Amino acid sequence: MSQIGLACIIDDDNMYVNLVKRIVEAKKLCKNLMIFQNGMEALEYFEALLNNLEKKCIPEIIFLDLNMPIMDGWEFLENFTKIENKLGKTITLYIVSSSINPVDIERAKQSNTVKDYLIKPVTIHDLESIFLNPAS
Amino acid sequence: MLQNELFNNVIQDLNAGYWELYVDPDREIWSEKFYTNIGFQRVEVEENIDYFLSHLIHKEDIDLFRDNFLNYRKNSIDFKQHIKILTKDGSYKLFRCATNQELPVNIKSEVLLIFFIEIKLEPEQDISKDNFYYKETAQMTATGSWYVDFHNRKSYWDFETRRILEYPDDYIPSLKDSASYYTEDCRQQAADLFFNCAMAGTPFNTEIKMVTANGRIFWVKAIGKPVYNESKEIIGIRGVFQDIDEVKSKELRLERSLEIIASQNSRLFNFAHIVSHNLRSHTSNLSLLVQLIEDVENPDEKIGLINEIKEISSSLNTTIEHLNEIVAIHTNKDQEKKIVKFQDALNIVTNGIGQMISLSNTQIITDFTRLNEISYIPAYLESILLNLITNAIKYKHPDRDPIIAIKAYEEEGSNYLKVSDNGRGIDMKLFKDKIFGMYKTFHYNKDAVGIGLFLTKNQIESLDGSISVESEVDKGTTFLIEF
Repeated sequence: MSQIGLACIIDDDNMYVNLVKRIVEAKKLCKNLMIFQNGMEALEYFEALLNNLEKKCIPEIIFLDLNMPIMDGWEFLENFTKIENKLGKTITLYIVSSSINPVDIERAKQSNTVKDYLIKPVTIHDLESIFLNPAS
Repeated sequence: MLQNELFNNVIQDLNAGYWELYVDPDREIWSEKFYTNIGFQRVEVEENIDYFLSHLIHKEDIDLFRDNFLNYRKNSIDFKQHIKILTKDGSYKLFRCATNQELPVNIKSEVLLIFFIEIKLEPEQDISKDNFYYKETAQMTATGSWYVDFHNRKSYWDFETRRILEYPDDYIPSLKDSASYYTEDCRQQAADLFFNCAMAGTPFNTEIKMVTANGRIFWVKAIGKPVYNESKEIIGIRGVFQDIDEVKSKELRLERSLEIIASQNSRLFNFAHIVSHNLRSHTSNLSLLVQLIEDVENPDEKIGLINEIKEISSSLNTTIEHLNEIVAIHTNKDQEKKIVKFQDALNIVTNGIGQMISLSNTQIITDFTRLNEISYIPAYLESILLNLITNAIKYKHPDRDPIIAIKAYEEEGSNYLKVSDNGRGIDMKLFKDKIFGMYKTFHYNKDAVGIGLFLTKNQIESLDGSISVESEVDKGTTFLIEF
């Protein structure tokens, strides 16, 4: 069982991000964690990667929040889907949101890019099983 | 005896009694039905003209009938008349009396015949009763009838039409004035309906607004259909209209209430989502934190984590304060409106944020000459101005000092307030739908909270106003409020 090299959290809730970070560190779930405050920051990073593809800079897992300022999760997802294939690496994307709106959940299911929809609060156990077995 | 079977049948259908007139000697044979109609048996009366004239016929009718009878017998001159004949119970019954030539039947008999056809109801009484019911119905249902005669180029109204439209009884409607019977906004509709009915024979059944002679506007249900002559040409339009103003007004009121309820419902639904989402983000952090606290073994680390609870608690409080503010808008909207001078409200705001204005070198240009005051909840006007002004300063253009233009004016009966700035602007393509949303921020400013415009919009809408925005990146933003 190999440890995940790089994971990415796109979320504007600092408290949540800090807590996940602590869990990841404490449990040694992955080597490096990237944090983006909103969809725009993350998208800019991925678009820049296209010009300078470095496999180790591409995360294996993305945790995407939906409600964010400047660019929300849906808009990021729409843009990310367009460039996903050009990154040349399998990326597993989870939506992690506090929205329990069935419209959001259904919409996420329709997307091929989205692996699963997690409703906050996530548990330590959830995170462990995702990190240990991302593709399952 | 009548041999002609067809004739017999016809007479039976007519339900008529008759006399057969024979000569040499002169005598009359009265038919079975004649006896039945007056109720006497054959043996009770004498079957001849003299007995009939002296005993059975009403004295008013004697002279005319005798003349007619003799003329018919001697000179074969046909006649018809009304005649009252005594019946067994002592009352007189009315008959239409006619010779066979006068009957509406194309069958002739060999002998002379006089028919006595019973008239069940007296004709005058009948018509006046109908007329009574018709008037009653028209009045009770407030239904007027009218007819437009294309040939004579005239229109006719009944009494109820004149009453509903408040015209005097002797008013003669005119085709030339017909547009003026409808409200201005309905004249096109009326013209279309009449034209289609007159040209294509399309009947109509619609709701339309009419105007009375006294200028009262009311709703009617108007029904009309074409009138054809024998060669299938349209020669007029006949119709009725019913005063449905009360019902229609109720319907319109109901529609308006429904709209208000729908919009309130959608606001409530939105609010429920906001509450759910915003509270959930804190409770889920709390739950994650608790899991972490349970999971770590090191006591120092545990204490460090417990401190985090403070932070969650404080942001939870902030969220609840925001939610309270929104609820307050809807409970406060019944607060008393007062006449507020724009300049006064602005002074209160600029005094409160004087430091922010002077530090940022903000220049505020006002124009309240066209409208200097409105009736509004003063605290709302101040809050609206505060939010728009602080937004303009927060999101000022990096290359220039903020200039904010505030202008109030009246246009077509509505009051407006326009607040424009020369700030960095908002990308309308990306954010048009989100500008007034809760916790939506579009800039990288640290202190962007995303509650101000949401509150402003809610305050304005709770008082039945609206707010719109135009913006261009690097040029500035303009908010327009209709009170």
